[in-house]
Amino acid sequence: MADLEIKNLHVRTEDREILRGVDLNISRGEIHALMGPNGSGKSTLANTLLGHPSYEVTEGEIFFKGENITESEPHERAKAGLFLAFQYPVAIPGVSVANFLRMAINAKREEPIGVKEFREHLKHAVELLDVDRAFTSRHLNDGFSGGEKKRAEILQMAMLSPDVAILDETDSGLDIDALRTVAEGVQKLHDEQGLGALIITHYQRILHYVKPQFVHILMDGRIVLEGGVELVERLEREGYDQIRQEHGVGV
Amino acid sequence: MSEIAVKPGRHREATLYHALAGEGAGDGRTLEEMRAAALAAFEREDLPVWRRSGFWTTSFADLDLDALQARTHPADVGVPDLVTQTLPDRPRAGRIVQREGTVVQVELDPELTERGVILCSLEDAAHEHPDLFARWYSKRLTIDRHKLEAANAAFWTGGAFLYVPDGLVVDDPFEIVYTIDGPGVAQYGRTLVVGGRMSDFKVHEHDLADDFGEEAVAGSDVDSTPRQSLHAGAFELYLQDGARCRLAQVQDWGTGEVHDCSTRFVCVGRDAYCHWLPALLGGHLVRHHCELSVSEPGGDMAFRGLFFTQGHEQLDVFAVDLHETGPSGGDVHWRGAATGESRASFEGLIKIDPGAQKTHTYLQAHTMVLSPKARLDAIPSVLVSADDVSASHGGTVGELDESSIFYMQSRGLDRAAAVKVIVEGFFEPTIGELADEPLQGLVREKIASKLAAARDDIEAYATAR
Ligand SMILES: Nc1ncnc2c1ncn2[C@@H]1O[C@H](COP(=O)(O)OP(=O)(O)OP(=O)(O)O)[C@@H](O)[C@H]1O
Ligand SMILES: [Mg+2]
Repeated sequence: MADLEIKNLHVRTEDREILRGVDLNISRGEIHALMGPNGSGKSTLANTLLGHPSYEVTEGEIFFKGENITESEPHERAKAGLFLAFQYPVAIPGVSVANFLRMAINAKREEPIGVKEFREHLKHAVELLDVDRAFTSRHLNDGFSGGEKKRAEILQMAMLSPDVAILDETDSGLDIDALRTVAEGVQKLHDEQGLGALIITHYQRILHYVKPQFVHILMDGRIVLEGGVELVERLEREGYDQIRQEHGVGV
Repeated sequence: MSEIAVKPGRHREATLYHALAGEGAGDGRTLEEMRAAALAAFEREDLPVWRRSGFWTTSFADLDLDALQARTHPADVGVPDLVTQTLPDRPRAGRIVQREGTVVQVELDPELTERGVILCSLEDAAHEHPDLFARWYSKRLTIDRHKLEAANAAFWTGGAFLYVPDGLVVDDPFEIVYTIDGPGVAQYGRTLVVGGRMSDFKVHEHDLADDFGEEAVAGSDVDSTPRQSLHAGAFELYLQDGARCRLAQVQDWGTGEVHDCSTRFVCVGRDAYCHWLPALLGGHLVRHHCELSVSEPGGDMAFRGLFFTQGHEQLDVFAVDLHETGPSGGDVHWRGAATGESRASFEGLIKIDPGAQKTHTYLQAHTMVLSPKARLDAIPSVLVSADDVSASHGGTVGELDESSIFYMQSRGLDRAAAVKVIVEGFFEPTIGELADEPLQGLVREKIASKLAAARDDIEAYATAR
């Protein structure tokens, strides 16, 4: 049984159905890539997995570590070991990155984390992602550049050590050096801690640094094609239209 | 963020209240004469009701004044436990505590006494420092605009008087405390503070009452036991040439039916500066008129404020940024939140008098509604009678941002914790301006405990959406 099991997931917003039967299994230690055209439902899937209130699951189920979490509160899913690096992280004025991380870590624990332990943990993560130490005393995402926000997402991931992380276009908006740092960070968490990841992306370039074992193509709310890295290359060559025709999706 | 720059000469009428903006009652009359005049006004006037066309009424008509006593205590009754429990234990220059009608503690660093600082009850000041008293008492405060203002001026007992002589710099704050023990009390508190030329000092006022809400009154004979108490307050602060003062007022009347109808006036003299921050954090029905006047050239001020209402509380704040001469500067920034079924109204008025050329001022009010039944209005108004000035106002009206809440939840914080982060973040810029660790701690603590009390309302807000 996979750690994260998505079964026949149908999701709608107030006005329409967006996911129309998604099946996907992700386990610790596996790296998956999810690609698909704009508006195909990638972020909807990511948000639904964490329980965003705007998305209603009308059919299907989500299991995490054997538990049905389809109706769970977002914070319970997080505490169980799921993580989402947002495509558009929101600013939380009034709380520093470090204090927020301390709160998030403590939310998962019985006893609050010790000052020293936290400091060392933070130091490690800061080095892994090559961010300036002063960064952690700034208010979370408040006035951050696009790239800084993405780094802050991965910094949080490194600190919270999830079992399965969904990275929603974390590569967009990163310059080439930042992209390498972030991607290598993800790879390292995978190698050292057995992180499982679903990397949502439009581009091949992040996949030069993080090697996915599985690639899934989402179109019009369904996974229409699955395979290995060769799929990415094919996509890059042929574009989505070819696949659309082959699989008869969307008019 | 909406921002409106006001063209010079353009007039916009305040919608409900008027600035004091004139001479006070202290025009050479003796205290006895003023008390008599106030008593006449008290007998003439009805309990105040303020009505803004259509949507807002602040009414003290339900106050049962006859059931309330202006209770006094033997002077040695001592400081209520509430004061020691609530106020931060910190170095201070002095402290005066008024329990209901009686001053029960006056404490002043002996070194400051030697250097000419006066801290005593206002009653004592009238006898022992008649010249200072006559010069400043009610210089800008009126005594007859409505029944409760008149009641204060006619009946006040105890009171606080602080005088900081010319040139003296005092680092630690002077604390002025008003407390109410329980229901059935009318407290007429009156404070007069004067900062001499080039003096530099801090004043922290604390207004507090023991909780005597539902639980506390339960069990007693409901019909015969009064539930209400009243604090009718008057506060005046005068800063002479070049004086600087940081004034912070932390008010939390607890869960009892405390009615608070107060007027506070701060007058900034030539090249003087005042940083004023009222924190209004609790009271059954509160109406505050806070007026900050830059009355002589070169005066400058920062007027900050915060409020947070919960349960069935009703709060009505009228904050005036008055410029009587120029050049002068002003900067008004208030933040308020409401939860439960509480109602809060903030009206901010910039008033620039004809002689106040070269005045630059800005007023902003940021508000946040935390529960579906809470109501919060923020109304800026501007009255400009000079043409070489800049005055503008802006503000935001916020609700809980669901995407921020989801973001934090996705990191493991539950909804209540996420809301707490947002609300604290919302107030933090203002709390930061207190620039005083112990006081900041107190205000943060109070906001946290109000949030904890409002937990159910905040949950209801989520499901109502
Ligand atoms: N909260 C919402 N309310 C209404 N419609 C929504 C909502 N969220 C997503 N949608 C719609 O659902 C569709 C899928 O959006 P989604 O953000 O999941 O796409 P995506 O695959 O992540 O696209 P992109 O590559 O541009 O990030 C879009 O048509 C979008 O407008
Ligand atoms: Mg997306």
